[in-house]
Amino acid sequence: MALSDHIQTFDYAVDDALFWVSDNAAFLFDGIRAGLDGFYGLVLAIFILPPFWVVALAAGLIGWRAVGPRFGALAALGLAACWLMGLWAESMDTLALVVSATLVALAIALPLGVIAGYLPSLDRAFEPMLDLFQTLPPYIYLLPAIALLGYGSATALTATVIVAIPPVIRLTSLGIRRTPREFLELGQATGVTGWQMFRKIRLPFALPSIMAGINQGLMMAFGMVVIAGIVGAGGLGKTIYDAMRTLNIATSIDAAIAIVILTMVLDRITQAFAPQRRETP
Amino acid sequence: MIHSSALGGEILIDCQSLWKIFGHNTRAALEAVTRRGATKADVLRDFNCVVGVSDVSLQLRRGEIFCIMGLSGSGKSTLIRLLNRLIDPSDGRVIVKGQDISTMDAARLRQVRARDIGMVFQSVALLPNRTVLENTGFGLEVQGIGKAERDRAALAALEKVGLSQWTDRYPSELSGGMQQRVGLARALTSDPEIILMDEPFSALDPLIRRQLQDEFRQLTKQLGKSAVFITHDLDEAIRIGDRIAIMTDGAIIQTGTAEEIILNPADQYVADFVAGISRLHLVKAHSVMIPVQDYLRTHPASEISALPHASADADMEALIGLISSGDRDAVAVQDGGRLTGIVTIRNLLLGLSDKPGRLERVA
Repeated sequence: MALSDHIQTFDYAVDDALFWVSDNAAFLFDGIRAGLDGFYGLVLAIFILPPFWVVALAAGLIGWRAVGPRFGALAALGLAACWLMGLWAESMDTLALVVSATLVALAIALPLGVIAGYLPSLDRAFEPMLDLFQTLPPYIYLLPAIALLGYGSATALTATVIVAIPPVIRLTSLGIRRTPREFLELGQATGVTGWQMFRKIRLPFALPSIMAGINQGLMMAFGMVVIAGIVGAGGLGKTIYDAMRTLNIATSIDAAIAIVILTMVLDRITQAFAPQRRETP
Repeated sequence: MIHSSALGGEILIDCQSLWKIFGHNTRAALEAVTRRGATKADVLRDFNCVVGVSDVSLQLRRGEIFCIMGLSGSGKSTLIRLLNRLIDPSDGRVIVKGQDISTMDAARLRQVRARDIGMVFQSVALLPNRTVLENTGFGLEVQGIGKAERDRAALAALEKVGLSQWTDRYPSELSGGMQQRVGLARALTSDPEIILMDEPFSALDPLIRRQLQDEFRQLTKQLGKSAVFITHDLDEAIRIGDRIAIMTDGAIIQTGTAEEIILNPADQYVADFVAGISRLHLVKAHSVMIPVQDYLRTHPASEISALPHASADADMEALIGLISSGDRDAVAVQDGGRLTGIVTIRNLLLGLSDKPGRLERVA
């Protein structure tokens, strides 16, 4: 057999497997789809139901408490600008997508990161998989996702979750693993239980690293917004995608500005939640 | 500083031929050392194992401060971690208050660590995200004691170390000496009978260090605690310890009071070590005096009752004071009103010299 035959066999196998899964495990993927859509809808409702000024004011207030008065004012003004550009619904759609995807990613990645932090062997096993996810072009897993979950926000959400997971696992595991030795010793000498060691010693030391992971995951999720538009997620991604096809440069730039505003607001706020380590001099 | 009265107490920690060998094939290495007399170099070459602690036996008695003095790499930090099983011994037993901790299950061991043995570290290890009060109450928090009660106990412990005004500060706001005081308060809060001190003052500057040494000794005696104190500084060991063990290459080569070690070093290593130590406050009258008859033989004309008097525990400095303030060249040593010996100027000088071998011939 020629090499091309082998490749063809491989391709058939992949196709067959995909069809088999979509035929035989349809109930599973329908369930996942319903769950993701439902969750996304819930998060979206929080952002889209109140009038725009309530959301802008809330962002301003959180920004003020978390970062400072100047940033709070800028965050509120930035969101108001999204409304002024006529992109409010799209912006909230995108925000809901990013936030819900990040939350789902955290639910998966935080526990895995903690376990990997305790088990170096698991951490080593994760490493190549995470590398793979981070280097593969996201388009690659959009197709199977469309095949299994269909065209729509569930697929966009899945793709976004996948890119948001690796940094959270990596940095959580790193934070848990890097507890200074003398504090592990302190815990042991004090007679802590395994849970107390995690809760009272490892976790506080890991928190800055974990928060950095969450922040990075969120940023990766924002990077998926336009791609999510292609698979039918709506929001600013769809606006840009549509504007690109009709060469509507002004609209695409407006949408890009809205994305930048949302990204900066969430970035600064999540960064500020990373607790300031009080270093011992 | 030496109280021989502390030597009679009940034994709180009893180490029996403790061994710690680091590496993969420790069983075989241990057997080679104990059965066939292999040396450390042999063990390293044949088994790629390092001997950390080698056949150490020691007893900590109630109310005493036991110093383990050794240079870096002598195994003293490993040894102190064997006492609360932060490190598992390769062989031997550690009996804490009558219970063998080497065979204890995890839950029981946690209990012993939480209630019976406090520990203070060279790095202090104050949790940076907690206030001084929260750090001090950490041990009680771990034991599940309510906030009100542990705060009360923590505040009481902070008062003992003079830091009750600093409860709401964070560790980073405190100086090194203050941080180590918090470390000590934290160890005292759970009211353990035994305190393990792992080079607690080594990183502090000399003035603060001396101050903390004195405070530590005073506090320990006042609270009736017993302590094992690790140090690389012989002066510190002498200042703090009731008894001192000298450790090198994983083994304890001599144990005794500072005076015993200085006057009768077990080998050349110890002798070299103690050579530079001032004997003024360490050597006592009873160690350098000669029998009254010997004195009368060489000084037949001398009138004993006219000599200045000193107790058997009087140190060299006191004796020098007595002799130099009068016109006599000897001091009569009395123990409970009974004449027990005479210290001449010659004995005094030999007691101060760091060649104690000659002293034995004289005395």
